[in-house]
Amino acid sequence: MATVAARPRLRVGIVKMASCDGCQLTLLDLEDELLAIAERFELVEFPEASSARSAGPYDVLLVEGAVSTPDQAADILELRRKAKLLVSVGACASYGGIQALRNWSDHDAIRAAVYAHPEYVESLNAATPVSEHVKVDAELHGCPISPDQLREVLVSVAVGRRPQIREEAVCLECKRRGTVCVMVAEGIPCLGPVTQSGCGALCPSFRRGCFGCFGPREQANATSLARTLAADGREDPDVARLFAGFTGWSGPFRAVVAAYGGPPGVIPYAVPESAEGGRDGRG
Amino acid sequence: MTLPAPSEFAGADLALALSGSWFGAGLTPEAVTRLAAIAEVRDLVPGDVVVAEGQVAETLGIVLSGRIALRMLVPERGTVTILTVEPGDVVGWSAVVAPYRGTDDAVAIEPVRLLTFSGERLRLLLRADPLLAASLYPRLLQSVGRRLAATRMQLLDLFAREEWVRSETKQW
Amino acid sequence: MVIDERLPYAPYPAPAGTAVAAPPAPIASGGGVGPWFLARANLGVLIDLLREDGRTVIGPAVVDGAVTLAEVRSVDELPAGVGDEQVPGRYRLVQRGDRRVFDFAVGPTSPKRWTFPPVVPLNVGRRDGRAVSFEPSPIDPPRLAFLGVRACELAALGIQDRVFLGGPYTDEDYHARRRNALVVAVNCTTAASTCFCTSMGTGPEARGGYDLVLTELDEGFVIRAGSPDGADLVARMPVRGADAGQMLRAAESVGKVAAMMGDPVPTAGLHDRLLAQFDSQHWSRIAERCLSCANCTMVCPTCFCSSVTQRSDLDGDVSTSERVWDFCFTAGFAKVAGGSFRSRPRDRYRQWLTHKFATWVDQFGTFGCVGCGRCIAWCPVGIDIRAELLSIAPPLGARPEPVRPKPVAATPGFYATARIVSVRPETADVTTLTIGDVDPAFLAGEFGQFAMVAVPAFPPVPISISRFGRDTIDLTIRAAGPATAAIIGLGPRDEIGVRGPLGTSWPIERAMGHDVVIVTGGIGLAPLRPLLDGIIARRDRFETVRLFYGARTPADQLYREELRAWAARGDVEVELIVDRGTPDWTGPVGVVTHLFDQATWDGEHALAFVCGPERMMEATVETLESRGLPPDRIFVTLERHMECGIGLCGHCQTGGLFVCRDGPVFALSQLGGIFGREGM
Repeated sequence: MATVAARPRLRVGIVKMASCDGCQLTLLDLEDELLAIAERFELVEFPEASSARSAGPYDVLLVEGAVSTPDQAADILELRRKAKLLVSVGACASYGGIQALRNWSDHDAIRAAVYAHPEYVESLNAATPVSEHVKVDAELHGCPISPDQLREVLVSVAVGRRPQIREEAVCLECKRRGTVCVMVAEGIPCLGPVTQSGCGALCPSFRRGCFGCFGPREQANATSLARTLAADGREDPDVARLFAGFTGWSGPFRAVVAAYGGPPGVIPYAVPESAEGGRDGRG
Repeated sequence: MTLPAPSEFAGADLALALSGSWFGAGLTPEAVTRLAAIAEVRDLVPGDVVVAEGQVAETLGIVLSGRIALRMLVPERGTVTILTVEPGDVVGWSAVVAPYRGTDDAVAIEPVRLLTFSGERLRLLLRADPLLAASLYPRLLQSVGRRLAATRMQLLDLFAREEWVRSETKQW
Repeated sequence: MVIDERLPYAPYPAPAGTAVAAPPAPIASGGGVGPWFLARANLGVLIDLLREDGRTVIGPAVVDGAVTLAEVRSVDELPAGVGDEQVPGRYRLVQRGDRRVFDFAVGPTSPKRWTFPPVVPLNVGRRDGRAVSFEPSPIDPPRLAFLGVRACELAALGIQDRVFLGGPYTDEDYHARRRNALVVAVNCTTAASTCFCTSMGTGPEARGGYDLVLTELDEGFVIRAGSPDGADLVARMPVRGADAGQMLRAAESVGKVAAMMGDPVPTAGLHDRLLAQFDSQHWSRIAERCLSCANCTMVCPTCFCSSVTQRSDLDGDVSTSERVWDFCFTAGFAKVAGGSFRSRPRDRYRQWLTHKFATWVDQFGTFGCVGCGRCIAWCPVGIDIRAELLSIAPPLGARPEPVRPKPVAATPGFYATARIVSVRPETADVTTLTIGDVDPAFLAGEFGQFAMVAVPAFPPVPISISRFGRDTIDLTIRAAGPATAAIIGLGPRDEIGVRGPLGTSWPIERAMGHDVVIVTGGIGLAPLRPLLDGIIARRDRFETVRLFYGARTPADQLYREELRAWAARGDVEVELIVDRGTPDWTGPVGVVTHLFDQATWDGEHALAFVCGPERMMEATVETLESRGLPPDRIFVTLERHMECGIGLCGHCQTGGLFVCRDGPVFALSQLGGIFGREGM
């Protein structure tokens, strides 16, 4: 293969939609290798680190945040045209994020409840993942994303191979590091078995249940986990709340949330939605 | 080997040629005799069309030697060969199955010697002779079924290169 | 310790009701002949002695709500008065208030964590211009002493010994760790509701495989030695001979535990009963509950599967490889370029359960389960394998023939380097590399064997050897993914890493004096080319030779010049067919079976060699059988996800076979119900 030195630097951009910027800051966490990365990648757009702005094109475009406003919905179409490889980074960009909680509620009612002048607030009815708007070449998961996985994506682009990101449950990271299962040993509800790994099983190592920020893993059997949690004496709203977190708008988790009565505290639409995932949907 | 000219085939030769083919080997001796009585031998040169797609199929044939291609025309892609019919096998089954229209073009791609039956005469004969029909149709169905199975396998495109880039993008 | 070559428990079939067997004969030491008695107050001496000997003591400790295994520095850290309650999906500690330190059932961690750690460095690959190197990681395990190992765990160590050390290949890392560990066992005086060692014939009493074994009484411990190392330790401890009352109470407390458990998993005929149930609806029912989270396999003390991961620098010039725990429940585990062989959770559960209780027997002569019950307690949704096994009906079924390993030199983590001599494009995405400077072992390889090929920063890939030259080998490679694309992107004088030759070969000797039928499709011709070379070199030893070769299009045919040359010889019948014709192609179009399903030859005296996509081989086998070839004269190759290439990582398992080690060439009769079955 060609030597790397002969290659031109790849143009990398980071842009954000509705998000907290925590994911793009992860790039700065790669401190040891920032110089090496800068040798191979030209960061043409990185709002948290540089005021430089670019109109593209991008070899790699990292998109952070959910699409939440009409402007963002238009921007993402334009950005996609300028990006060779578009990677959604984080729970917001990949699943809608915490702001997708509003998707269950009557949007106008929420706006009226929060803002004195809701007419000044331009936002869409739903906060949605980037992949609902444009083709996404890859997703990095997590809230925030894992620096290791971000590094792996950059290395794989530089070397020209497939990123080695494992498709497995958080449980594997838990057991590899020797953490005692919080669910079995302490009865703490945990989404680890149905959640994609990558975080290093951080929460269980602090005796907290996984709250699913990396989103449902391949073949996530969320229905079975929810059934077990409910059988253990938890009320329906508690089960729904557990799944209606940072990635609650993802398909498998959303189905559970719906089957257990929706997330607590929603302001329902005047005409309730049809029976999508009613009580019968819990399998 | 020097073959006799088509016109020189007598009834016994026709029966022999028929029962010696894969298709004919699965028929009862009575059926072979009845069929040989209405059979003719035809020699084709490359490019000769036996059956045309969408047209009335006039001829049921059994390939004695040579190879016939079954082709379909796809606009802007040209003619695609779906399958080749090898010696022993049957071509033009549409001649005895309603609506008696060809499902593809059957074109000789080499010099071909074909044992042929007029579709019209064959249909009359089959209607009049249930025993002949009971012998011929299963064999025909076997041949068509074999083609269906083969087409499915081709549809699977087993030797195609996997598009790994596309299949891996959603979740690395 | 010296690894006990004897089985620590009865091999399959495990006789029911033999849980408490006679202990091994006492071993004499400086302190006389055991058993001895160690007062409770003196237990600390044992820990101190082990530490004085430079050993890290791994023993029971309460961590995060469970009795798990951790480093124990003093006797005060042992879980005095702590018990446990375990039911499916639930584990809770119980404070008893007494002073007993071993009165609990096994927790989530087993010695596997130290003998087969979750992450082990394998090698560092480097590239310097055209040269590459692979430096194996040093193996330097700590000196350990396991304290409190239960009978089921001893059995599990015995099982892992068979897997990793039983041959034909051994895992050096495991060997070193095992050799460096001393085992102090404890007989169980209590059992959890999840325990079923009695059914598996492994406990509750330790019957070998230990250096020392303790049985706890209220006032102290009855001790026996199981090895000279153990006897030496006893000689340095303040012990006296155990009296008859102590020995009786010790035996009674263990016997009581056995009675508590009963026989929840009748093992008689289990192997055959389970293998007859591949198509049971039950697998789907389990999959409705199963999370495929792999917790059962991770807490299992015998599960041994792993994957290798690479981490490279941004240039791909330096990469480190690590072996990590991986399991048949994860998505990538059975993946090849075209997809996963076990995409459905029910296939993964079936794989696991049938391996533990059936195919493990075929491979290693014992069950893969020791009855510790961890997979029951630590399953988040409480699936109980005892109940699942009982739900599956018991008609007897066929089983594959025993495996037939073929020994060749190979060491995990080690790569020999070789140099590319020439590069020849075959088709748009297939390239043949001729490799020189190879280890002579490669040149002595057999037809059909493969090599693991590596370049730094990419996962190694299995490639069949497509020609054995005088001092070179050919590798014909299709760009199926980034690693293969990287390899065929190399040029003459570039180096690559190679391991092998690996796997089984085409049994060419068996074909002598017979008709030979070779049926192949696509790149499947590559592993058959050496066979054709071999046949042609001794053509007079074989009767008729037929090659039927299917390709996607005429342009996708490999070795086109050679195909012509073989056909021109006159003594090899070469017939080609394509799936899609082109205007200039006047040959047959269709599937490869069309070339012979109406031909007049019969297969009574023929041997067939088949290689291609599995679906194509299924159709081929069916046609061959209709031509009179019995399953023991049809040879096929299987493709599976391979990582280690020597039967130690588990990825390529199908039924009771490791494709890399027991295959890739199999007689159809060896495969039994595996061949063509979805989800295997």
